[in-house]
Amino acid sequence: MDFYFGLAQLVGVHTLLGLSAYIVLLTGQVSLAQAGFFAVGAYTAGMLTVLAGWHLVPALGIGAIVSAATACAVGFPALRVKGLMLVIATLAFGEAVRLFFFNFDYQIAKGDIKVGPLGGEGFRQIRFFPENGWGTLEVMLFMWVFVLLVMALLWWFDRSRYGTALRAVGEDEVAAQAVGINLTAIKVSAMTVGGAIAGIGGGLYAHYTTHIEHSSFNILVATFALAYPIVGGLQSVFGTLIAVIFVQAFLIEGLRELGDWRNLLFGALIVLAMNLRPNGILDARALAALKRAFTRGRNA
Amino acid sequence: MLDFLQAVSDGVLFGATYALIGIGFTLVFGVMHKLNLAYAAASVGGAYAGLLVLGVMAGAPPWLVFLCAFAAGGVLGYLVYLSCFHFIPLGSPLATLMATVGMLLLIDEVIVHFTNGMPLAYPAMFDDVMLRAGELTLRGDLLLVFGIAVLCMVGLLLLLYRTRLGLATRAVSQQSVAAQLCGIRVGLVNAMTFVITGLLGGIAGALIGASVGALSPLLTTPLTVKGLIVTVIGGLGSIPGAIIAGLLVGGFENVFQLFRGVTERDLYVMLLLFVFLVFRPGGLFESKDDHH
Repeated sequence: MDFYFGLAQLVGVHTLLGLSAYIVLLTGQVSLAQAGFFAVGAYTAGMLTVLAGWHLVPALGIGAIVSAATACAVGFPALRVKGLMLVIATLAFGEAVRLFFFNFDYQIAKGDIKVGPLGGEGFRQIRFFPENGWGTLEVMLFMWVFVLLVMALLWWFDRSRYGTALRAVGEDEVAAQAVGINLTAIKVSAMTVGGAIAGIGGGLYAHYTTHIEHSSFNILVATFALAYPIVGGLQSVFGTLIAVIFVQAFLIEGLRELGDWRNLLFGALIVLAMNLRPNGILDARALAALKRAFTRGRNA
Repeated sequence: MLDFLQAVSDGVLFGATYALIGIGFTLVFGVMHKLNLAYAAASVGGAYAGLLVLGVMAGAPPWLVFLCAFAAGGVLGYLVYLSCFHFIPLGSPLATLMATVGMLLLIDEVIVHFTNGMPLAYPAMFDDVMLRAGELTLRGDLLLVFGIAVLCMVGLLLLLYRTRLGLATRAVSQQSVAAQLCGIRVGLVNAMTFVITGLLGGIAGALIGASVGALSPLLTTPLTVKGLIVTVIGGLGSIPGAIIAGLLVGGFENVFQLFRGVTERDLYVMLLLFVFLVFRPGGLFESKDDHH
């Protein structure tokens, strides 16, 4: 049973990662920097619980705030860069963050051992969960509270004026400006919210794996973050969730018997998915069909 | 001072390979207005395929390996075109981006699979030759790398500006609808662009392997990032920009390595990119046409 709880934890963290890229993607900004914000949140929350002895919840909060601040700082220069150049710029930013943590040392002695991030070796001993007696089930439920809160928030955004403004900017910036939408405010706020979500995800990730290092936040993670909303479809938050479950649960765990060939299959499957369903698993038509199926009785 | 000049000269010579990778990215962007993130992986894949020559004929001369890598790169380029660009509708740029990422992962994993992740030694030519220019030492193999890269760039420019295919490619990159109206087969031009950039990529991968001495699947990620940085600094869509930016990045990279060591070197290359993005977002040679 613990195995499935562990899988649920993994799905939870990756959903947060995907959702952080989702909200930025809605505004038409393709950002490969989410892994960088994820890393900032992870290291911050880890350092607060391990080095400063804080409880996890305020540590996660500060981690989210620091990630959001970093994202805000990235959001402003990102306004100057259009389209595919933003992909490259955010890719470089993500790599820069990873290289920063590769060179980052900050250790203090606790008892006889030294704890803290140590450059290439990473940040070990993030043992908040084991030290406070949390079992796998409790950790999973704790994580999913955050995931569900974030999903509810994004769902609510989609139903509000803010969400409409986000999508308008994503569709056509000139038309959105013509209607009076403040491009800067929308794009930078979306990036900031995305950073905050990634920060929460990062903090949870650091604590459930207990050991983070620079290579846990590489380009592959950044592309995963982007792949989930694109493969899942940008019409609804559930698309991202379905994509995460599809990729993590089905592909990585379900095809475990295929051993080495799994990784090959992952790339091939993304290529296939993009050729067959260029607008994602849950694209506009699929969503409309689902809605019709569920409201058939009510409208009859 | 001498160390600095030596670092610059070595870096610029090696930077010619970055220039080739940058040209590949920028050419695809110029013609199709899409980014092919699988390009560096296809180059490394082509270089690996070049090693197959050694498997068939042990002790084959290095230039044969390079030739095989050149050809294999072209084949891989066409495969990337088929799987990521041919069937996906033009209105879904995100889908093509993701598909190229998928191909990047796929090519990486295929390489790891067939080599068990171990780095493979790559043949080099003239690696025992050392030329002296005053106080500077110029490595023979780096000079050859630079020379072959320059030859390829000249060949590409000749192709683009002196042949009908080149004319068609330039036409499609400027106005694809008008080009279609003139009777140019856009699909064919797109496919040929990928084959040409694939050929360039294959030789670039082979040259990188030759100058480093070994090939490893770990090469793809830094090469992708550096190639993209070169493309952005040079200006998306500009070939002379990519060439100059490639040499620039190669030189700067080596200088950073001299002053701050290998672990921090890449961080400063990123900073170079950010400086360019802040002061000159269009790149060195901003593209005059701006249809988005």
